[in-house]
Amino acid sequence: MTEIPENTMINTTEPGLAVAPPPVEPPSATLPERPLMELLNVSKTFTVRSGGKRLTLSAVDGVSLRVREGKTLGIVGESGCGKSTLARVITGLHSATSGEMIFDRAQIPATGKRPKDVVQQMQMVFQDPSSALNPRATVGESIAFPLRVQGMSRKEVDARVTKVISDVGLPASYSGSYPHQLSGGQRQRVNIARALALQPRMVVLDEAVSALDKSIQAQVLNLLTDLQRDYNLTYVFISHDLNVVEYISDEVVVLYLGQVVEHAPAKELWENPQHPYTKLLLSSIPSMDPDDSTRDQPLDKDSSEIPSAINPPSGCRFRTRCPMAMEICAQQAPAPIETSDGHLVACHLYTEGSQAAA
Amino acid sequence: MLRLIIRRILMAVPILIGVSIIVFLLMSVVPGDPEAGLVPDDATPAERAAIRHQLGLDQPLPIRYVHWAVSALHGDLGYSTLRRREVSDLLQQAWGNTFVLAAVSAIFGIALGLLLGYLAGTRRGKIVDRVVSIFSLGGLSIPSFFLAILLLGVLSGQLRLFPSGGATFDEGWGVAIQSLVLPVLSGAMITMAITARVTRAAIVDVFSADFVETLRAKGLTEFGVRMHVLRNAISPVLTTSGVQIGALLGGSVLVETIFRWPGMGLLLYTAISTRDLEVVQGTTLVIALTFVIINLVVDLVQAAIDPRVRGAVS
Amino acid sequence: MTETFVPPLLPKSFGAGVDPVSRAAAERRKEEWNAAVESVKAQSFWAETGKRFLRNRTGVVAAAIVVALALSAILAPLISPYDPLIGQPVDRLKDIGTPGHILGTDEQGRDMLSRILFGGRLSLLAGFVPTVAAAVIGTLIGVVAGMVRGVVGTVLMRFMDMLYAFPAILLAIAVGSALGAGLTNTIIAVTIVFIPPVARVAESSTRRVVVQEFIEAARLSGASRARIAWSQILPNVLNDIIVYASGLVGVAMIIAASLSFLGLGSAPPAPEWGYMLNSLRGELFTTPLVTIVPGFFIFLTSVAFNLASDALREAMDSRL
Repeated sequence: MTEIPENTMINTTEPGLAVAPPPVEPPSATLPERPLMELLNVSKTFTVRSGGKRLTLSAVDGVSLRVREGKTLGIVGESGCGKSTLARVITGLHSATSGEMIFDRAQIPATGKRPKDVVQQMQMVFQDPSSALNPRATVGESIAFPLRVQGMSRKEVDARVTKVISDVGLPASYSGSYPHQLSGGQRQRVNIARALALQPRMVVLDEAVSALDKSIQAQVLNLLTDLQRDYNLTYVFISHDLNVVEYISDEVVVLYLGQVVEHAPAKELWENPQHPYTKLLLSSIPSMDPDDSTRDQPLDKDSSEIPSAINPPSGCRFRTRCPMAMEICAQQAPAPIETSDGHLVACHLYTEGSQAAA
Repeated sequence: MLRLIIRRILMAVPILIGVSIIVFLLMSVVPGDPEAGLVPDDATPAERAAIRHQLGLDQPLPIRYVHWAVSALHGDLGYSTLRRREVSDLLQQAWGNTFVLAAVSAIFGIALGLLLGYLAGTRRGKIVDRVVSIFSLGGLSIPSFFLAILLLGVLSGQLRLFPSGGATFDEGWGVAIQSLVLPVLSGAMITMAITARVTRAAIVDVFSADFVETLRAKGLTEFGVRMHVLRNAISPVLTTSGVQIGALLGGSVLVETIFRWPGMGLLLYTAISTRDLEVVQGTTLVIALTFVIINLVVDLVQAAIDPRVRGAVS
Repeated sequence: MTETFVPPLLPKSFGAGVDPVSRAAAERRKEEWNAAVESVKAQSFWAETGKRFLRNRTGVVAAAIVVALALSAILAPLISPYDPLIGQPVDRLKDIGTPGHILGTDEQGRDMLSRILFGGRLSLLAGFVPTVAAAVIGTLIGVVAGMVRGVVGTVLMRFMDMLYAFPAILLAIAVGSALGAGLTNTIIAVTIVFIPPVARVAESSTRRVVVQEFIEAARLSGASRARIAWSQILPNVLNDIIVYASGLVGVAMIIAASLSFLGLGSAPPAPEWGYMLNSLRGELFTTPLVTIVPGFFIFLTSVAFNLASDALREAMDSRL
C-alpha cells in the first residue's frame, strides 16, 4: 500500500468563511446490540513534499462511526476517498492524527504498539490476492505466521491452521502449496483464513473481493456471510462496488474525500438515498468504475473527477460535482443531520430551514 | 530540466567530498611514516619531531584533511620527494595521456559494441547472435592485463606490427598513433564486448514490448521499428557506458603499465612500487574525481534522453 | 510456471442439501477432488530452480568445469607433480610439452603445472570469500536501509554511493596499497569494493518488497520489525542478491589477480596467477606460450564462473 494516497485533500478551512463541521455522534437510533468499535472524530493527515513545499494532506477527516457486534458495516466511496487509509487507521497500521478509537469499551491508543489482545481481536483482509501473500512461503506458513508471533505451540498452530483452511473451503493439502499455484479466488480464501487464524472478533475487509471475477466474488461473499454467522464476526467491509456492499452490509457509510457524507442502514440507503453524492453513485450502477466518467446527469461543473488533494473545494467538498449546489455550499461545510431513525446526512439540502427538507 | 541539472550537480558535491575523504583516510592508514623520506638517517628524535611538525603531521586527522583538501582545490596536490616534482605537475601531463587513451578506447568500444549488440539483438538466434554472445562472454571474463599481454605478444612480438613502448605526442603524431593502437585495442575490445551484451539484452527486452506490435500494425517499416527500438534501448546502454569508462580509467593502471603509456595509470603504478605516497594520493583522487564527473555527465545525458529517468528524480 | 491441474474450489456449503442422496453424492465428489488435489505437489523453490538449471546444457558444463577446478585446487597437494616453490635455474623457461613439465617452467625453474594448481587455491579463495562476505554485509546494510528509510537509510546509502563512486579496480588498488600486500588484505579490499553494489541491489529489492500487502499483514500480527525483516523480507530479497552475487565471483578473481599483478597481492613466492603473469611477462617475446599460461587459467576460470552464474540467473529468474 502506498504511503500517501493520491487525491487526498488538505485540511484547511478558509479563514473567516467556512467552519469545520462539529464532531458528531453516529446515528442515535436505539441499538440493541452494543457497539464493538467506535470511531470518534478520527482524522489522519500525511505530510507530503511537492515541488519543495511541505503540504499536509488529510486522508481522513473527522470520521465518526460505530460498528455493532456481529453486524457488517459497509464503507463505500470512490478511489481516493480515503477508505483504504481509514481501514489502516482502524487496524492500527497507521496511527490516527487525532480522534478517539474505542474497541470493546476500552480505548485504543492512537500511536504506538497496541496491546496484544487488541491485535488478536482485530484483523484485516487485503485487496490484492497476489501481493497479500508472501510468494516465498507456503499457504500453511503464511497462515501460521501470526499464530507463531503470538507464541502458540507448534501443535496448536498446526491444528488451528488445518481448521481454518477447511473453514474457508480449501482442501487441507493446500497448506503445502505456494501462492503462485493457486487461483485468485483461492488466494483470497487463504487471506481470509489468515485473518481468521487468530480468531478475531472483528475483521476489516479492504476491497476484499474487488480483484476477483464476478462469479468468484459471489462464492467468496457467501463464504464471508457463512463465517460471520458461524463465528459471530463483526465486519467492516470497504468497497467501491455498491452491489457488493449492498449485499453484505447491515449499515452503510458513504465516504467522500475523507469525510462521512451519509450513514444509514443498508436497505434504507438504497431505497431512500439523500445525499446527492449517494444518489450519483446509485444512479451510475452498474458501471460503478471510478475511472469511467459516463454519467446520466450532465454536470456543468469543472470536472467529473474527484478534486485534487492539493486544493479541495471550500465548504462542502462535493459542491464542484453536485447538481444541487447552492451558494451556502461554498461558504459553509454542512454538519451531519439525522433525518430519520439511524439515517445521517451531511448536506445543506437537509439543514433546518432549507427548502429541500421534506 | 534546468532544475534537474542543478539538483544532480548538487547531489554530486557530497559524493566528491566523500571520495576525497576516503582517499585521504586510506592513505593515512598506510603503514610507515610519511616523513621517512625527508628525515636523514642520523636524525635525533627531536629533529624528527621538528620535521613532523613542519610538515603538519602532528595535527589531528580532520585538520590535516582540511588542509590537504583546501590545497587540492587550489591545485596543490603535494610534492613528491622521490621525483622532486609537484604532484600536480606530474598529473598534468599524465592526465591528458590517460584521457586520450580512455576516450579513444571508449568511443571505439561503445560504438562498435552498440553495433554488435544491435545486430545480435535484432537477429536473435541466428549465427550473428551466437558469435556476438560468445565474443561478449570472452570480453567479460578476460582480465584486461591478460588481453593486453596477448595483444602485445601476438601483434607486437610475433607479427611485429606495432611498437611495444609508449610514446607521447611530442615525438610526432604517426609514432604516437602507432603506439596508441595496442592499448586502445585491449581496452576497446573489452568495452565492446560488455556494451554489446547490454545492448543486445536491452534490445531483446524492448522488442518483446507491446508497443512494437502496435508500430508494425500501423504499417511502419521494419527499419523504422528497429530505430524506435534502438531509441528505447539506449538507456541501460548509457548506464553501462559510464561504468565502462570507469573501468577504463581504473584499468589504465594495468594497461598503461604493460604498454608503458605515460598516463595516470603508469604514474600510479610507479608510485605504488616506490611508495611515493603523495603521488598515490593525488593520482587516486584525480582519477576518482574524473570518474564522478563523467558519471554525472552520463546521468544528465540519460535524463535528457529518457523521460522516465527525469520523472524519477523530481 | 509449473501450473498443473488445479481443481476448482469447494464451496463451503458444498452440497449442503438435506436429503441423504445428494449428501452422499456430494461426499463422493469431494473425495474425487481431494484425490486430484493430491496430484498438485508443492515444490520448494530450490528444487524447481535446480531442475531448471539442469536443463541448461551450457550451465551444466560450466558448473562441471567449476567443480573440476575447485577439486583440482583442493587436491593440489596430492596431484601436483612437483613442489611449486622449488626450482632449479637450470630448468628455467622450459616450453610447454617438455616431458616432465607439461606446462613448462617459469623463470626460476619451477614447474608451471604445480604452480597453477596451487595458485588455483589462492584464486578460488580470493573469488569466493569476498563475494560471500560482501553478500552478507551488503544485504544487511541494504535491507536495513530499505526498511528504515528516513535519515538512517539515506545516510547509509549515501555512504555506499561514495564508495561506489570509485572505479572498482581503483578502489581495490587504493585499499590494497593502504593495507599492504598479502592475500588477506586482498580479500578485504575486494570485499569493500563489492559491498556497495550488493547493498544497492538489496536496498532496491527491499523497497520493492516492503510496499507489498503481505508485509502489512505481518505487521498486523504484531511481529517486530526485526522478525519481519528476517522471515518476510529477506527470503524475497535473497533471490536478487544471489543472482547478482553469483556474477561477482569471476570479477573478484580478476580483481585479485590484478592486484597481484601490481604487486599488491600475495607475496612471492606464492604462486598467485596474476603475480605469475607479471613476473613472466618479461619473457613474453622469448617464450610466449609459457608466459601466457597463468593468464589463460584466469580466463578459463572466469569464463566458467560467468557461464555458470548466467545459467543460475536464468534458472532463478523465470519464476514469478
